[in-house]
Amino acid sequence: MILTTLKKESKELFRDGRIRIAFILVIILTIVAVIISAWHYKDINEEYVLAKQSEREVWDNQGEKNPHSAAHYGTYAFKPKYPLALIDQGVDKYTGTSIFLEAHKRNEAQFDEASDQTGLARFGNLTPDFILMFIIPLLIIFIAYNSLTKEKEMGTITLLNSQGVIGFKLIFGKWLAVFSPLFALLFVLFVATGIILSSLPDFGIFSWSSLATLFLAYVVYYAIFINLVFIISGLVKKSGIALVLSLSIWILVCLILPKTASNIAEYKYPYPSKQEFAENITKDKKEGLDGHNPWSEASKALEKQVLKEYGVDSLSQLPFNYDGYRMQKGEEHQAEVYFKHYKQLKAQYSNQSRVYSQLAVVSPFLPTRFLSMSIANTDYTTHWDFADAAENYRIETQKFLNEHFAEESEYGDWSWKADADFWKQLPKFNYEPPTLTENLKHNIGNILILLCWLLGSFAILFFTTKSLKNVKI
Amino acid sequence: MIHTNNLTKSYGDLTALDALDLEVKEGEIYCLLGANGAGKTTTINLLLGFLKPTSGSASINQLDVVEHSKQTKQYLAYIPENLMLYPSLNAIENLDYFSGIANKNFNKKTLESILTEAGLQESAFYKPVSKYSKGMRQKVGVAIALAKDAKVLLLDEPTSGLDPKASFEFGRLLQKLKQKGVATLMATHDLFRAKEVATTIGIMKNGQLKQQWSVDEITLSDLEKNYLETMSYNTIEL
Repeated sequence: MILTTLKKESKELFRDGRIRIAFILVIILTIVAVIISAWHYKDINEEYVLAKQSEREVWDNQGEKNPHSAAHYGTYAFKPKYPLALIDQGVDKYTGTSIFLEAHKRNEAQFDEASDQTGLARFGNLTPDFILMFIIPLLIIFIAYNSLTKEKEMGTITLLNSQGVIGFKLIFGKWLAVFSPLFALLFVLFVATGIILSSLPDFGIFSWSSLATLFLAYVVYYAIFINLVFIISGLVKKSGIALVLSLSIWILVCLILPKTASNIAEYKYPYPSKQEFAENITKDKKEGLDGHNPWSEASKALEKQVLKEYGVDSLSQLPFNYDGYRMQKGEEHQAEVYFKHYKQLKAQYSNQSRVYSQLAVVSPFLPTRFLSMSIANTDYTTHWDFADAAENYRIETQKFLNEHFAEESEYGDWSWKADADFWKQLPKFNYEPPTLTENLKHNIGNILILLCWLLGSFAILFFTTKSLKNVKI
Repeated sequence: MIHTNNLTKSYGDLTALDALDLEVKEGEIYCLLGANGAGKTTTINLLLGFLKPTSGSASINQLDVVEHSKQTKQYLAYIPENLMLYPSLNAIENLDYFSGIANKNFNKKTLESILTEAGLQESAFYKPVSKYSKGMRQKVGVAIALAKDAKVLLLDEPTSGLDPKASFEFGRLLQKLKQKGVATLMATHDLFRAKEVATTIGIMKNGQLKQQWSVDEITLSDLEKNYLETMSYNTIEL
C-alpha cells in the first residue's frame, strides 16, 4: 500500500504545473546559489593564499631590525574559508578574516565581508544555506499542505476507507512522495558540492564525512517539517486553512523563534560595550608591568627581584639584556589581562549559547542551524577557536622576539639589530579548525533535540492518522 | 452476504435507523427506496463501518462489521452518489491505485479489460478523469468493484444525475454483477431503475423499513402508488 500510494502521489505531484514550476525555481535558485558561493569561495581562498604568502614574505624580508621594532611592525593571522562554507556561510560574513598580531595588544578580527558591502546587503545574499533553511521548507509546505485535506475535500477519503485503507500506510506513502524528490534534490546538491569542493584547493580540510553529516542534518530537518505540515493537513478539513497554518508555523519556526531566542540570550547575558571592554583592559594593563616603562613600581619590583635572583648589583651584569627580559614580562602580564577579559567574554558567549540551545527545543530550525554552522566550521565557536589560536601565536611570537633580543644584545643597546635571516626562523601560523568529531561532541544537545523533534513529530503524525479513519460523511 | 439484525442508529433523541432487519443474498439486488433522511445512507454507512450502531448488528459474509471492520472491507465495494476519483490521473491509473491499496495488482492489459467490462469506452482509458462525466466515473467505480472481485456492492444513489442512457447502462452493469453472484444493496430514488434491476425492493421512512416486496410481486405502477402512500403524499392531489 505504501509503494502504491507513493507511485500515485508522485504522479499527481508532478502533473501539477504549480509544483513543477516551484521545483524548477528551487533547482535554479540552488544552482545559482551554489555557483555564486563556489566563485566566492574560490576568490576568497585565492586572496587568502596570496595574502598569507605576501605577508610572510614581508615579514621574512624585513632586513636588519631590532626585534621589538619587528614586534610593533606586526604580522597577520589569516583565516581561510572552510570548504563547507560553500553550503553554510554561517557567521563568517560578520566575523572578519584576519587578525593583526602586534606587541602589547590583542586585536579583533577585521575585514569582514558585511562591512565591505553596500546597504543592499541588508536584503541578504542568495546562499545555499538560505535555500536549505528557508526556501525548501516553504517548498515542502507548498507541495504537502493539501496532502490529506484534498482527500477530504474531493471525497476520495470515503472510497479509500471503503477499500480498507490503513491510515498510517496511506500517510507514509504520501510522506515518501513528498520526501523522495526533496531527498533527490538535496542528494544531487550535496554530491555536486562535494565534487566542486574536491576540485578546489581546500587546505586539506574538506572531508566527505562532514558533507554527509551535514546532508543528514538537513534530511532530518526536512523530515520534521514534512511531519508538521502533514499533522496540520490531517487535523484540518480545508486546504486553505492548512496552507495558512503551515505558513504560520514556518514564520514562527524559521523567523520569529530564532529572533526571539537571540533577543532572550542577549538580554539575559549581555556583552559589555566595546568601549567598556577596552577601558577595563586598559585599567588592568596599567595595574601591572609595562615593558616600555622602566620607572613604574612594577618595573622596579621586577628589577629588584631579578637582581636578587642572579646575585648581581646592576642590570648590566646580568647574562642577558634586561630590556628584552622586561619586555617579555610586560608582554606576559598584558597577555594575562587579555586572557582574563576574553575569558569573561567567552563565558558570556557560552551562557548565550546555552540559552540558545535551551530555546532550540521550541524550534527545529535552531538546532539544525547550530549543527549546520558547526559542521561547516562557520560558527562563532570556530571563530573563537581561531581567535584564540591567533592570540597564542601572537604570544609565542612576542616571546620569540623578546628572548632573541634579551639573549643576543647588551643591556641598554636599543640600537641593536637582529640579522636579516632571523625572521625566517619564526614558525608559520597554522590553524586547524575543530574536527567533525569535536563538532558533533560539542553539538550533542542539538543532535538530541533534533532527534526528539523527529520522533515526536512522527508519533503525533501517527496519532493524527488514526482520526482519518473516522471520517464523517 | 449482507445481513442486519435489529440495526439501530440514534443521535440523541433522533433515531436515524430503527431496528432494521434486512438480508441480501448472493446474486441479489436489494433496492432501498425512501425520501431524503429516511435512513438509506445511514444503513450503508453502518455496513461500511463508517458509523457505529447504537444497537443491533450488521454483518457482511457472516462477519460482524464492527468487530471485523477491516476484514469485511475485503469483500465489499462502495459507489457513492458522486464517485470522486483523482482528477489528474486517468482511468487506468485510478483503477490501478484503488485496486493496489486493496492488495490486488494487475498489469495494464488486465486493467484495460476490467474497464472494458465495466463499460468504459476504450478512447477514455488514458484521459484524465477530470474530463469524465458522472456516468463515466461511475463506470470506473464499477471497475474498481470488479477488480476487487467484491462479493458485496453498496451503492448510494448511483444513478442520481445520470442521463437516461447512462442510467440504463449502469443498470445493465448491475445485472452483470448480479450474474456473477454479487450481493448488491442500492439506495435510490429511482423507482423505474429499481424495478428494472432489483430482486427485492424495500421502502424506508423515518429510519424504518415500512414495506418490502420481491420484484415479481409488484408492478411499477403499484410500486409508485405504494411509495407515494408510504411517503404520505396524496396521489389524487398529485
